Amino acid sequence: MKPTLKMLTSAVFAGFTATAAMAEFPDRTIELIHPWGPGNAMAVSQIIAKAMGEELGVDMPVLSVPGAAGTKAQTTAMGKPADGYTVFDGYVAPLVLQPILGNADWDFSEFAPLHSAVSNAFAIGGRTDETRWSTFEEMMAYCQENRGALRYSSGSRNNLPHMVIAKALQSYDCVAQNVPYTQDGNAVKDLKSGVLDFSFINVGNYKSDPSAFNIMLVLSELPGSKASFDGAPTIADLQVDVGLSKLGPMGWTWWIVNPDTPDDVTDALRTAMGAAMAREDVKDAIAKIGFVPLEWDHTQYEEVVGSVQDQLSAMGNALTWEEDELKKLQ
Amino acid sequence: MFETIIGGFDLFFSPLAIALTFAGILIGLLVGALPGLGPLMGIILLLPVAISLPPLAGMGFLISIFVGGSCGGAISAILLRIPGTPIAAATLLDGYPMAQKGEASKAIGIALAASSLGGLVGGVVLIVAAPVLAGFASRFAPPEYTMLAITGLLTISLISEGTFVKGLLACCFGLLLSTIGTDEFSTGYRFTFGSHHMLNGFHIVAVVVGLFAISEMTFQMARDDLMDKPKLEIARPSLKAVVQTLRHWKNLLRSSAVGVFFGSLPGAGGDISSFSSYAVAKSFAKPEEKYGEGAEGGVVATEAANNATVGGTLVPTLALGIPGDASSAMLLGALLILGFIPGPEMFLMQPDFVGGLFLVYMASNVMLFFAGILAAPFFIRVLLIPKAYLIPTILILCCIGTFALQGSVFDLMVMLGFGLIGILFRLAKYPLAPIVLGLILGPILEANLRRSLLISRDGYWIFVDRPVAAALIVIDVVILVGFAVVSVRRWRAAKQSCGLDPHMRD
Repeated sequence: MKPTLKMLTSAVFAGFTATAAMAEFPDRTIELIHPWGPGNAMAVSQIIAKAMGEELGVDMPVLSVPGAAGTKAQTTAMGKPADGYTVFDGYVAPLVLQPILGNADWDFSEFAPLHSAVSNAFAIGGRTDETRWSTFEEMMAYCQENRGALRYSSGSRNNLPHMVIAKALQSYDCVAQNVPYTQDGNAVKDLKSGVLDFSFINVGNYKSDPSAFNIMLVLSELPGSKASFDGAPTIADLQVDVGLSKLGPMGWTWWIVNPDTPDDVTDALRTAMGAAMAREDVKDAIAKIGFVPLEWDHTQYEEVVGSVQDQLSAMGNALTWEEDELKKLQ
Repeated sequence: MFETIIGGFDLFFSPLAIALTFAGILIGLLVGALPGLGPLMGIILLLPVAISLPPLAGMGFLISIFVGGSCGGAISAILLRIPGTPIAAATLLDGYPMAQKGEASKAIGIALAASSLGGLVGGVVLIVAAPVLAGFASRFAPPEYTMLAITGLLTISLISEGTFVKGLLACCFGLLLSTIGTDEFSTGYRFTFGSHHMLNGFHIVAVVVGLFAISEMTFQMARDDLMDKPKLEIARPSLKAVVQTLRHWKNLLRSSAVGVFFGSLPGAGGDISSFSSYAVAKSFAKPEEKYGEGAEGGVVATEAANNATVGGTLVPTLALGIPGDASSAMLLGALLILGFIPGPEMFLMQPDFVGGLFLVYMASNVMLFFAGILAAPFFIRVLLIPKAYLIPTILILCCIGTFALQGSVFDLMVMLGFGLIGILFRLAKYPLAPIVLGLILGPILEANLRRSLLISRDGYWIFVDRPVAAALIVIDVVILVGFAVVSVRRWRAAKQSCGLDPHMRD
């Protein structure tokens, strides 16, 4: 009986080994953790995830985990097993800005990049029926005379738009109250209904209802961004010094995974995302929402993200300035 | 309105969405018929499946479970005198006597037809009223949402089973649970105890499965009827039921209106609407109809009302993002997980999806009748399965579903923990639904209250300065004062009936 039992055991073991070897990555759903609430940014991530899922042959649902300027989502994603079945949608705020502000204990270089995804220009916008001002400079003059009277939203608190808007306001010595919203749509709704005085507006918000907004300042120096907002004034036109140039004011995102993910798995994900981002249907769908598809692959991660980190670090903390000035007014 | 519905055609008329709507109806009828389950349990058990599907197919699946489950309870109420769900309790008043007279098939047929037609009336109201309410609410700002959340929490605490104080305490418990996780305003962590599992608070599905399903199964196991097999007549309802039901068309329309009205009120679910519509129908009936002794009109009234309630409940859920009861709170939770924010913005930005939801609701009510007629004998046979087999199956489904949400063992522990809490709450006769509403409405209330105060240049006066918010404050005060007056009167009546002078007591 012994040889037979041994043979049987060996056969079963060999069978299991072969099955394990045949189980190639991915063999189940891959989750993309997105750091913002539902809206245009999430819609764009869903487009890319769908295409990437098609390249990999599995579904890639997008899980929205908003809060804490994206750090909640990033912590959640990095708390998952490093097996490639969790990908993080790494926007500037959680990846670079929050560590600079001391709200996160990681560095962007600690993660394994897959590919750049999209960038999204944004602007400061008001209502078209506003009677108190019509240009950004008029609004700043009003703000200087009425310190702390204006209400604005940058979407989430301590995100990139908040940092850049606070910096722009600081350069005019304008103190205004930031009101956080987890869904951009609600901030836009409250701007339209007169509850907010101005708000950050991304291209998607603008394109969905251009006649509703008076775009006063595009927070980018790039000509493409100016064109996205139908020629509205940019920080370059008004010579507003926010300390950012080129890539800085663009709210880009890189998809990243846990650095302990096996190399072959990371490579499979990189290949699939690269293929998805190269597809014309994907590019068209992203452009329709008002975002710009990016072509940087993982080899350019350090160069691109590193330069933005340097710029943001050099900007100084406009958020602390805003907070301190508001406290003085209380 | 028509553009919204036409826009939903592409989303709804896909094989997957239609098949899942039909499957949802069958599952809803099944969980409704089985005593102790019901539409809420059906939604809870299948939510993990639904959120992994394309959005409209997933929501169609859940909405049709809600629709089917709201009718399925009538089958066991008529045949066993045991309502499968509390919302079918009023149906047994006339349904069971009909079965005793050998008219079980007719009673089930009328229940299916009345449910289906009542649900369609509720659907018409949903399609007409929800966009109007959403349009009106598009001017709502944080102060209005703050007051709406308070109104919702107050009414569910008042109307839910048990005393007002217990309802309010259960609601506060839900509110406290909602504070766990990351504070959106300060970006700080609250009650997370250094665990990244707690950064988002507890997953709503794990909490609800624990509170409702685990506690219910525990109580079912404690009974001594695990292997009981009831003696049943295998009824075979026919399509003639539509004609039999339409003979009571005035009753049908009136009861549907009562159902829609109660459905649209936060906290007032199908059980209140079915008993109310029964009372109204009985008061309008002629003596020879003999309500309580097997009157067809009694079954028409209760079943039309409890399915119309579903349509009514969806009005504030979809238009305002304020759920009316625990089942619609779960639907709202599913919408959020799937990436949709119920409220005016959804009607503005995703009208096709809203149209798809309307179509799903209407189609599920049509399917309800035909699926019910065809599959009634099967559901009746399911009632013969002993609980000893059903309970372990449901518990396994609870565990698989909860684990599958995020592949997290932590969620399983949360489920079991809240199972224990659910058992304790039930033993102490505290209602469970206010906990879920507190958990869902808590973040809406907190965020909008804090946002209102940031926006305000005049502190709390922002709630008085804005007309709608001020009107809601008045409504809340009237609710509280009215309830206090009724409570004092009841207390005095109770004391007087005991022969005591309430003034002497203190």
